[in-house]
This record gives sequence, structure tokens and C-alpha cells, in this order.
Amino acid sequence: MSLFMPEPDQQTLAKASSIISQLRKISKNVLSEEEEKAVYETDGLSVHRQRPIAVVLPENTEEVSKVLKYCYENNIKVVPRGAGTGLSGGALPLKDCVLVGLGKFNKILETDFENRCVVTQPGVTNLAITGAVQHEGFYYAPDPSSQLACSIGGNISTNAGGVHSLKYGVTTNNVLGVEMVLIDGTIIRLGGKNLDPEGYDLLGIITGSEGLLGVITEITVRILKKPQSVRAVLIGFNTNDDAGNCVADIISSGIIPAGMEIMDKPLIIATDNFAKAGYPRDVEVLLIVELDGTETEVNTLINKVLDIANKNKASYNRASESEEERLRFWKGRKAAFTALGVISPDYICMDGSIPRKKLGDVLNKIASLSKKYGLGVANCFHAGDGNLHPLIMFDSNNPKELKKAESFGADILKYCVKVGGVLSGEHGIGIEKRDLMCEMFNNDDIQQQLNLKKAFDEKNLLNPGKVFPILHRCAEEGRVHIHKGKTRFPNLPRF
Amino acid sequence: MSEIYQPANEVEIAQYVYDCYQASRPIEISTLNTKPIGRSIQCSQTLDLRKNSGIMEYAPEELYIKVKAGTPLLEILEALKKNKQTLGFEPVNLGYLYSGKSNFGSVAGTVSCNLSGPRRFKAGALRDHLLGFTAINGKGESIQSGGTVVKNVTGYDLSKLLAGSYGTLSVLTEVILKVTPEPEHSETLIIHGLSFENASKIFSQVLKTSLEVSGACYYPSNNIKFLRLNDVKNTASVTALRIEGPKQSVNERIQNLQKIFSEYNDQTVLEVYQSNLFWKITANLECFSNSPNLIAKISLPPSVTSKFVSTFAEDPILRINNKYFLDWAGGLVWIEIDNADPSFLILEKMKKFCIEHGGHITVVKADLNYRRTGLFISSNDENIKILSAKVKNSFDPKSILNPGKIYAGI
Repeated sequence: MSLFMPEPDQQTLAKASSIISQLRKISKNVLSEEEEKAVYETDGLSVHRQRPIAVVLPENTEEVSKVLKYCYENNIKVVPRGAGTGLSGGALPLKDCVLVGLGKFNKILETDFENRCVVTQPGVTNLAITGAVQHEGFYYAPDPSSQLACSIGGNISTNAGGVHSLKYGVTTNNVLGVEMVLIDGTIIRLGGKNLDPEGYDLLGIITGSEGLLGVITEITVRILKKPQSVRAVLIGFNTNDDAGNCVADIISSGIIPAGMEIMDKPLIIATDNFAKAGYPRDVEVLLIVELDGTETEVNTLINKVLDIANKNKASYNRASESEEERLRFWKGRKAAFTALGVISPDYICMDGSIPRKKLGDVLNKIASLSKKYGLGVANCFHAGDGNLHPLIMFDSNNPKELKKAESFGADILKYCVKVGGVLSGEHGIGIEKRDLMCEMFNNDDIQQQLNLKKAFDEKNLLNPGKVFPILHRCAEEGRVHIHKGKTRFPNLPRF
Repeated sequence: MSEIYQPANEVEIAQYVYDCYQASRPIEISTLNTKPIGRSIQCSQTLDLRKNSGIMEYAPEELYIKVKAGTPLLEILEALKKNKQTLGFEPVNLGYLYSGKSNFGSVAGTVSCNLSGPRRFKAGALRDHLLGFTAINGKGESIQSGGTVVKNVTGYDLSKLLAGSYGTLSVLTEVILKVTPEPEHSETLIIHGLSFENASKIFSQVLKTSLEVSGACYYPSNNIKFLRLNDVKNTASVTALRIEGPKQSVNERIQNLQKIFSEYNDQTVLEVYQSNLFWKITANLECFSNSPNLIAKISLPPSVTSKFVSTFAEDPILRINNKYFLDWAGGLVWIEIDNADPSFLILEKMKKFCIEHGGHITVVKADLNYRRTGLFISSNDENIKILSAKVKNSFDPKSILNPGKIYAGI
């Protein structure tokens, strides 16, 4: 698969062996053999692969600082990497880069119940944070489906969400502080165990910056007390519109569920076959609504939700009667990606975010695009916050199908933007959606973002080629979005 | 005298800023009613945003509202109230602090200060509720970031940066805020007569339960006279715990709280009307209404708050007796510092304490003398200052927007 990436620097490539030996003076964990590097050649977006000059796995912040300082002084590109589960290619190496893997930063440093936070290294998995505090009844709220494997550092890079972010927020709402290393080796600390850092909210900018601004080496997240009672309801519908209206009505009634997920028929069948979740198989759309709080509150809310569902022509409903049953309801949804792998050789997972009222409209559009491209699609949505994950099925042995699948995905995302949504809700832009940025932003918007990047990384050495379009391509493909009638084309540097 | 310009729309604002950029003319940005917040700056030009006002889009079921940046915050709150919705972060009405009466100011001013009320520790800060914006940067270019959706990782999250930037990065022209349903019911348990140490213990204890307290504040006995509510004594200290949600659930949880803290027998429960009033008074900093003194906000890890209070606010032996109150379940201290010491030695000591204990102190109100020379924020980290200057430069390369408002020279 060809991908337009920044031109490798021949001088850097020519001195690869000296770079490797210099890195070895800094860290004892430098991988330079082809088979060692192969593990790091791709991330969760595995259609693209590239091996770097070397992989460094530093063991502490000072090592990260020294590696970055060396690369900065020698104009060598750096790509940071967490667990490598990202779905948008954010950790894809460049041919002339040093890949800095944070895998050895795998310790939880402190659990602080008095201040309700956890201080951790970035390579710790999302789920391990909850694991470290659950004996006291606490948990870490953002729960991406990959939480068993994805690292908390990676979560910050992509501002990861999950099924409970409607009520409890995404990563940015749950991070209190970081220690990070800038490209020139400077170590800085932002925030801490207190709320609301003073001065510019640099922590807010780092979160979701996809490894372009610095390398995170320590993180403080807030933890929450588990609710007293949690129950989930399954609700089946015969049409997309009924399901969409039900979601809107639940929100309008003043209820903010802990989670609200939609799956369409192909995914209901696939996940039920895979996880034996007990889903109804004769409905077109399945809505899972989770409610939490005190027992009385949850029971009251469940009755209200069921009333609303009935008014919207629900054909099926079932409320969980035990914790075991609730977990079974989720087992199917959380296994969506794996389950689909069983029925399709390959699929790509899209990640648009749209206004809730457009759910039915966008689902119908996806169905018509599926016919147009002749490719199957299964849909799961974080319906409560309008974040959709269409899974486009294809066979990578057929090169034409990958191309078609990518065009299909791009069409879905363009439609999301057209109805007032955005390109990515929680996976990030990476390389996957980079060239679609002009659909959402005009040149001034993008130039402002590039200027901000320069404030952190003047030489553009950190994770270049990600997030922002390589602009002359953007214009060539006629994708420049005209914002409010403005057509100015300032001379943009080709970051 | 500064020349005041009141553009009516985004295009006029952009043109004005562009002209100022070309002429390297600094601008002070003002909205409805200038509240002298931040460092004092001297500009020959004032950009007044009040005419760029009005609600642009509001569909209650979408849980957001899009407004022009000069819109009075009160207008937004009233529109939301009609649909039983509100701003979850409980905006702080600084009018009381500055003029002794209600004046929320504009949404742009509110966003620029990133101040959040009592519900902050549960519902997030203002910055967590700013979904997107359009603004004019220091070159007169219109830039936008974010959108109307709550989940969004599409480029850098510039909303976070603009919230709390005191108008030093860009001139906001449109703002999109997340809105939340008003709680169906609310009650507050008041415990009278506790020491600040015991109040801090209660805060810590209550956040280790699943009772979902959404307000937790403490007024010491020297800062209680202003409270005039039927069911609250204003002679002894007040520890307040708020519960919100469906009525039956609120009642159950209040009973639970009473049981947990039954050892403290001087208790009162405020019903919904008085409860709402109590938290409004707290969010509005009415205990410092019209204070002639310096008012500062201290954010600390809750576990060190008691130490701060005993060092700087209440010490009978050292006869320290500064008016203060605790909010955010002990994560926030608001304190009054006497203007009588023009060198503000105590403020310097507080700054040192905050930095050493992983927190910070921000001056929110001060007299002109202090605003001209004093430091507004406490961070003394050179690397952060350098980075902040670069960030400012990336938005406003000629430093014409509220120059020096946060840091001297930035």
C-alpha cells in the first residue's frame, strides 16, 4: 500500500549505523536487527508498515530526554509509541526515524486515595489502573474497547474515549497531570494532583496531540468511586429512525445514561454468535442503555427509559436482573471487533462523530454507500455521544477491495463532516484521516495548528507526516474546503 | 483615554485586529463590563465585543448551545433554564466580587477566565464544557477548532488552550458550550460548628462513598455572617454537602449522609429552594462581596489543604485570621489577603507553599497597585514560561492581544 509520507532524509539514512551506536551509549535497549524491528513496523492500522532506523526502549525519563536531545541535535525524526493498538496509524514509523517505545514504562507509581488519583508510567494498560484501585471500590472511567492492551500514554495521545464517556468524559476530562519530554530533551511537568492548572492549559493541548508535541513519561489520572448500582437494558427496534429517535428522547428527558450503544443487525448476529450475549436476533437495531447511581435512582431511570422506548416502537426490551447478566450484555458489544474478524477476512474501523439527531440519517447513508461500493458494513455506535464506528469488510488479498474500502470510509467521514460532525471521535487522525483534514478546516485553521506545533517542535522532528495533510496533495486532490467563502491560499510550509 | 471600538460581527472584528496587527497596535479586549482581572495593561485601543451577541443554535436534545462570544452569560442561562438545562460547571458570577451585585458578564469573558463553581470536582471545569469556538487570532485570521460533538480528536484541542487564556491568544467570536440537564432535585446537608480539620476529613470520607456528592464546601466561623438563610446559623462554621438527582434518591442519600456523620449532631437539611440559594451564593463568592482586599484562589491536592489553612488562614497562636472558605471538597481555597501590607509578604509565602505542595495560587482580584507590578499566577518554572511565550507567539506573533495580562512580557 503506497502512502505519501515525508521524504526520508538521505543524510540520516546514510549514517544509520553511527546513529545506532550513539543511541547504544544512551540506552541499553536499542533494537536494530530487522527481525527485532519487525514487531514495531506497524500499529493497529496494519495495512501500512515501515521499519525505522532503530527502536529504542528507554527505561526512565532521563533516558528519554537524552535520546530526544541527541535526535534533536542531529535532526533525526522521532516517532513515539505506546502499546501499538492505535487504529489510525499514529505510531507508524518513518524510514528515517528513531522509534521511541514506552513499553518499559510499565509501573504504577502511586495510588493516592486521599486525593483520588493514580500516578502511573505511560506504558501501563488502561485496565491495569482500575485493577490497582478496585479493591477500594474505585475505577478509572475512560474505557476504550482495547483497554486490556492499550496503554494509558497512548490514551492521552488519542484522547481515548469508550462506552462510558457520555457521563464520565473522555481522557482529557480525567487526566490531572503529566511529566513529558520536549523534543530538545527538556523535561516539563504540567498539572499534578490538584485541579485546573494555572496559565495556559498546556495539558489540554497535549491530550489528543497524537505524539506530535512531546513524549509523555508520567501521568496522573483521577479515579472515581464505583456507583452503588449499575444496570443495563437491551432495547430492539425495527428501523434506524426509531432507534435514533429513542436516543434523542432519552437525552431530551434529562437522563444522562452511563453508556448508550447501538449495534446493527450484522453486528448483533456476529457478536451474539461469538460471545453468546443473548441478544434478540429478530431486530434490526439493538440499543444498550446502561444506568448507574443509587439503587432507587437506577430503577426509576430504567422504567423511564423503557417508557420512552415503547413510545418509539421498540419491539424488544430486557433489563439486566443481575451483575452477571449486565456483563453478558456488554460482552457482545466489547467483542464487536473480534467477532467481525471471524466473519470477514479484513475490515477497517471508522470513527466519525456526529450530532445525535443525525444518527438515523447517517446510518441510512452508510447503507446506501455499502451498496454503491459492493462492500459489507457493520455498525456499532456510541449513540449517546454520536460517535460511530462503521466496520467496513473487505478482503485484503484483493488489492482493489482495500482501495474501495478506503474510499468507502472516506465517503462516510465526509458525510459526517457534512452533517455537522467531525472526522474522529476517539481514534485520532494519524495517517488514516490526515488527508481529510481539509474537509473540516481551512488553511488558516490548519496553519494555526501548525504554528502551535512549531512552538513545541520547531524543527518538526516529532512524529512528522501525521495528523496534518501534506498540503500540496490536499490542493491537488481538490479537497480544500472553503470556509465561510474565504479562498485565500497563504504559502503554507509543507509540514 | 483608550479608544473603544465596538464591531458588530466577526468580519468587522477580523478587519480591526488585522489593522492593529499591521500597525503593531496593542488591544485590550473587553466585553460587557470590564472586570479588572489579570495584570493591568495599558493599550490605546479597546475592543469591545458586546455587539457581537446572540444565541445562534440551541437544540436541547443535542446538549450544546452555540452563541456569539459577546452574548451575556445570563441570557444563555435563561434560555437553558426554559428547557430545564444548565451549564454543568456552575459559572462563577464575579459581579459580586467586583461591584457587590450580580453581573455574569459575557460568555467570552467567562470562557477566558475558566473559573468553575462548586460542582467542578464532580462535573468538570469550564474547559471541559467548551466544545468548540471560532476566534480571530493576532494576525486577524479567523480560526476554528472543535465542534458541536462531545467526542472529538481532530487536530489539537485548541478549546482547552483558549479557555483560561484571558484573551491573550485570540479574540473569541463564537463559542459552543456543552449543556447538561438541570438536576431534578437537590438538597444540602449542613453540619454546624466543625473545625476545618474535621471538615476536610468529612470531604475525604464522603468522596470514598458512592453517594455522589456534587457540592462540598466549608465556611469558617469568621466568614459566615454574610449567610442569611432561614435554616443556616451564621454564628458557627458551616460544612455543606450537596446531593442532586431524582427526588427519592436524593432523600435516601441525604439520610445516608446523616447516618455516616451522626457523631456531629448539629445538622440541618436545606430543602431544594434554600439549597439552590446556598450554592448560588457560594458560586458567586458572595462572602467576599465588594471586598477592598486582594482575593486569591488556591488549587491544592485536597490532602494538603488543612496544612495550608493552618499555616495561612487560621492559627490562634500566631493570630493569623484571614477570611477564607473551602470548596471542591477541599481542593480549592478562596482567601482574602489584607491590602494593608503593600508588599504582600504573606502572598509570597503562600506562593512558595503552593509550589512546594504541588498546587498554585492565582490572584483573582487586586487593586491597581498590585495589578501593575505583582504576579498574577504563581508558577515560577522557566521552561513553562518559555513554552507559554512560544504558544502565545504562535497565535499572536506581535503580542497585540491583551499583552502582559497573564505573564509580564508575554
